[in-house]
Amino acid sequence: MLRIALRGVRAHLVRFGMSVLAVVLGVAFVSGTFSLREMLSGTFDDIVSASTTADVYVRVPPSDTQVTDGGSAVTAGGLPLGLAATIATADGVDRVLPSISGPIVLVGADGTAVRSSQAPSMAVGFDPDDHTVTLTGRAPHGPDEIALESHTLAASGLAVGDTTRVLAFGQPRQVTVVGSVDYAAPMAGATIVVLDEATLESLYVVDGTVSSFAVYADQGVSQQTLRDHVADTLASAGTGTATSAEVVTRAQVIEQTTAQIDKQLGFVTTFLLVFAALALFVGAFIIANTFTMSVRQRMREFALLRAVGASPAQVFASLLIQAGVIGLVGSAIGVLAGLGLVQALRSVFAQMGMTLSDQVPLRPGSVAIAVALGTLTCLGATLLPARRAALVAPVEAMAEQTSITERSLRWRALTGVLLLVAGVLGVVWATGHPGADRTDLVLGIGASATLIGVLVLGPVVVPAVVRLLAVPLVRWWRPIGRLAAGNVVRNPRRAANTAGALTIGMALVGATTVLAASTQASVTGMIDQQITADYVLRADYPDNVSEAVVTGARQLDGVATVSPLPYAAVQVDGTQGSVAEADPALIGTSLNVPMVQGDAAAALRAGDVLVQKQKAEKAGWAVGDTLTFTGPVGSTTLRIGAIQDSAVLGDIQAPPGTLATLVPSQQVRSSTVLVTLAPGADSATVRTELVDLVKPYVVVSVMDSAQFVDSMASQVDRVLTILYALLGLSIVIAVLGIVNTLALSVVERTREIGLLRAVGLGRLQLAGTVTVESVLTAVTGTLVGLAVGVGLASALPTVYADQGLSQLAVPWASLAAMVGLAVLVGVLAALWPGVRAARLKVLDAVSYE
Amino acid sequence: MSLSEPAPAPTPIATTRSLTKVYGSGGTAVRALDGVDLDLVRGELTAVMGPSGSGKSTLMHCLAGLDRPTSGTVVVDGEEVSAMGERALTRLRRTRLGFVFQAFNLVPTLTAAENIRLPLDIARRPVDQQLFDDVVAAVGLGDRLDHRPNQLSGGQQQRVACARALISRPAVVFADEPTGNLDSKSAGEVLGFLRRSVDERGQSVVMVTHDPRAASYAHRVLFLADGRIVEELRAPTQDSVLATLGRITAEETH
Repeated sequence: MLRIALRGVRAHLVRFGMSVLAVVLGVAFVSGTFSLREMLSGTFDDIVSASTTADVYVRVPPSDTQVTDGGSAVTAGGLPLGLAATIATADGVDRVLPSISGPIVLVGADGTAVRSSQAPSMAVGFDPDDHTVTLTGRAPHGPDEIALESHTLAASGLAVGDTTRVLAFGQPRQVTVVGSVDYAAPMAGATIVVLDEATLESLYVVDGTVSSFAVYADQGVSQQTLRDHVADTLASAGTGTATSAEVVTRAQVIEQTTAQIDKQLGFVTTFLLVFAALALFVGAFIIANTFTMSVRQRMREFALLRAVGASPAQVFASLLIQAGVIGLVGSAIGVLAGLGLVQALRSVFAQMGMTLSDQVPLRPGSVAIAVALGTLTCLGATLLPARRAALVAPVEAMAEQTSITERSLRWRALTGVLLLVAGVLGVVWATGHPGADRTDLVLGIGASATLIGVLVLGPVVVPAVVRLLAVPLVRWWRPIGRLAAGNVVRNPRRAANTAGALTIGMALVGATTVLAASTQASVTGMIDQQITADYVLRADYPDNVSEAVVTGARQLDGVATVSPLPYAAVQVDGTQGSVAEADPALIGTSLNVPMVQGDAAAALRAGDVLVQKQKAEKAGWAVGDTLTFTGPVGSTTLRIGAIQDSAVLGDIQAPPGTLATLVPSQQVRSSTVLVTLAPGADSATVRTELVDLVKPYVVVSVMDSAQFVDSMASQVDRVLTILYALLGLSIVIAVLGIVNTLALSVVERTREIGLLRAVGLGRLQLAGTVTVESVLTAVTGTLVGLAVGVGLASALPTVYADQGLSQLAVPWASLAAMVGLAVLVGVLAALWPGVRAARLKVLDAVSYE
Repeated sequence: MSLSEPAPAPTPIATTRSLTKVYGSGGTAVRALDGVDLDLVRGELTAVMGPSGSGKSTLMHCLAGLDRPTSGTVVVDGEEVSAMGERALTRLRRTRLGFVFQAFNLVPTLTAAENIRLPLDIARRPVDQQLFDDVVAAVGLGDRLDHRPNQLSGGQQQRVACARALISRPAVVFADEPTGNLDSKSAGEVLGFLRRSVDERGQSVVMVTHDPRAASYAHRVLFLADGRIVEELRAPTQDSVLATLGRITAEETH
């Protein structure tokens, strides 16, 4: 039986090639996801271990008063710089360095900021005694010199000896590049500027305190021993801050940081694996299709096997063996393809200035999971067709034509209708109960049930849609339209499965498109209404609009008001949060603030804070409650004076001057400054003046309200591009499914094609028929998918109106483009099967064996 | 359109000269046709008979342009089929020839009426409604036109196939074992219809068969053996066909 099974695979290589390809794509995605994750985590682990060079760290315990603001914030103070001397007295200490670093902007050779996508841009010190760092040129000395990390130097287009500018906290400074440094690992695209210690201290040390000290051991002293010595010394020194400090070894720091990174990468992995699962699911469709058709064609072969004494179990097993072989081969190729995919991604990242670890590691465990997934998918998809083959009656071998009884669609239709109704009810319930505890869950389950219901109903829905779409073709394009439509609906299950693969991808595309368009419409609509300033000066995270720009803008003719919206990360009632300052004069001039309760300007003038509606509801705050804000510098308690419902302001707004009592000035961030014009001022002139003003501060741009709205909308577009790229893969697999179905149905219809050719159908007409079949299938799958996706996404604005998704926008043009794409996809998918059909010899088709 | 008077034209509807077809090469070569010279009379039902492997199917395939002769010429209705390219052959089949096969004659997704109209639809020619009604009436399928092939009996399917073969007014209809899968009653209906189409419309029909009863419906029977025409009968009866067949088989065995 094994030999027969293996011969079967060899004899039908082309037919099984499609299945193998489907498995390859699915498994490539899975293993690619795994190894991408390994590569990223390897890169970051390298960075952590390369930048954690000291043996022991003395630091403020995390999650106490330290507030993190992204990765590039000024580290909050806590340990006085003088503590270094105390630590140095401990036994076994070679040297002690305060850890100081902070955000900085480097201006490249082209006059723009050196920046790579999401990676931070930071200033660090240079330790001549650190042997893991290689210096070319010389170390920076004094405030006018810098060194650059070698990848940063390459990305900036600068050379050692060039002069350029850096901006720390928005303040530009002229500097000379005097050297370049190499760390033990590539820095994943981070922009790293090396300053001398004194300059670093003057810029980033807050109130004479730092968050940690790096302690290096004498030769032969272990991390653990050093840790104990330092801890003892600090305990006996007995000052308040010294005893609260935490002493940890290098190994502990690396372990903690790595754990944090892994947690964040875990999210990325989950996200990618969802798409991998989608790819495998669609792949399973194709595999099941191939086996169903192959079983259908080989019924007589199986009947013959049964007639000569094979048991049903043997026939069943022989098909499963075939599936196993296909699964293993496909998975093995898939793992390799996945590695190739990641290598390709790596070079793409490298092009974008993000240097990643050059090893693409793949753990045996990941390989095993990917191969197991691919093989199991293959086996699972074969179960039903194999069962059908096993149950064939031996007498079928003698029959002239094997009869294949189509099972009734009744149960399937019933299940589908139940799922669909339940799903739609769930979604409807969710739209009726926005904000309830289980709304998200019910909505998710409802949406999934609806999609699955439609897929289950496919054999009923797809032929109906195909017939409808084919009406004009049947009417005007005889006999091609009629023949093609007939071929598609001839086997409703197969048509449904083929179109179903596309339906899944297109449902997601449709939902994403509508969601994105609605988000854009909602966000831009609200920004448009709520920001009434004439111009917005904007620095993208993590940069700031410096105080000098604000001062300069105030002095321009024709400018009425210049209002920064500074904010900082602080603790609010003991939990991490952020607070912004808002000038009461802004309200009504530069900003429209929709109010839920109270008056915004009056509350701010009275020294009270405003809180955002959702935040207040979640935290249980009401007007009249008090909130305690705590920062590294101090603490203050303020009353809630009003509740706002603004889409542009943050959670909490305090009166001007509040931040200064909480955090050092270096920690106040100011990314947005609103500018209004004086009456009668010439808008264009003021704009030119503003542009000239911000030019030296390379990271600041001047936008009018429309441009500001656009810049917000473009962020949505960026996310959308990534999603489309991922969904594209599932559509590629779906196209393979169409090719597969067409190719097999051409083989099945050899005799019929011969007949048509004998009565005069030309080759082009025949290829046209196959193409129309393909396009009908593709367009049907797309239309059904888009309908489901758009329908489900339409429910979202009702459910999430409170969270800023207030408008429903259906981008008809994009959806029409998708249908256009489906037509194209259909034509492409028909190429090979069409040529195959046209090449069939008429005589072979009509003559008898 | 002349329905009553057969047109006894002197020119043959199809001619072959030294028609030879060799399958394979070298030692395993098989001469399926070995220099066949043949004139098929216009407005006649010609039956081609012979034992299995005598070359009768190959002869028909070459006549109909479904297969290419190794040498020799085939002329159908004044055009040299053996010299045609694929495109011209398609046009020839579409406009000048009609086909009835032994089985699988109909496109399963089309109704009976659509199957009958198929050659005209393919050629994008209008349907002559008078002819359509005529032909449908003649095959007696008036109430079955909206049925799919799987809802028709074998005999009904073959009658639909005959109607389709006639609808484009072909110069000649080729029928390959048209009654091979039918019971004798259905076979009689199909054969009767083919003969009437010759007698009443002057249609030329060539039929390959191994059934003496089917051959007895023909005006003329040609007997093939080893790729050559060895006998010819005019106005055959079942008995004379059987006797001739017996003689040929006997000659072969000697």
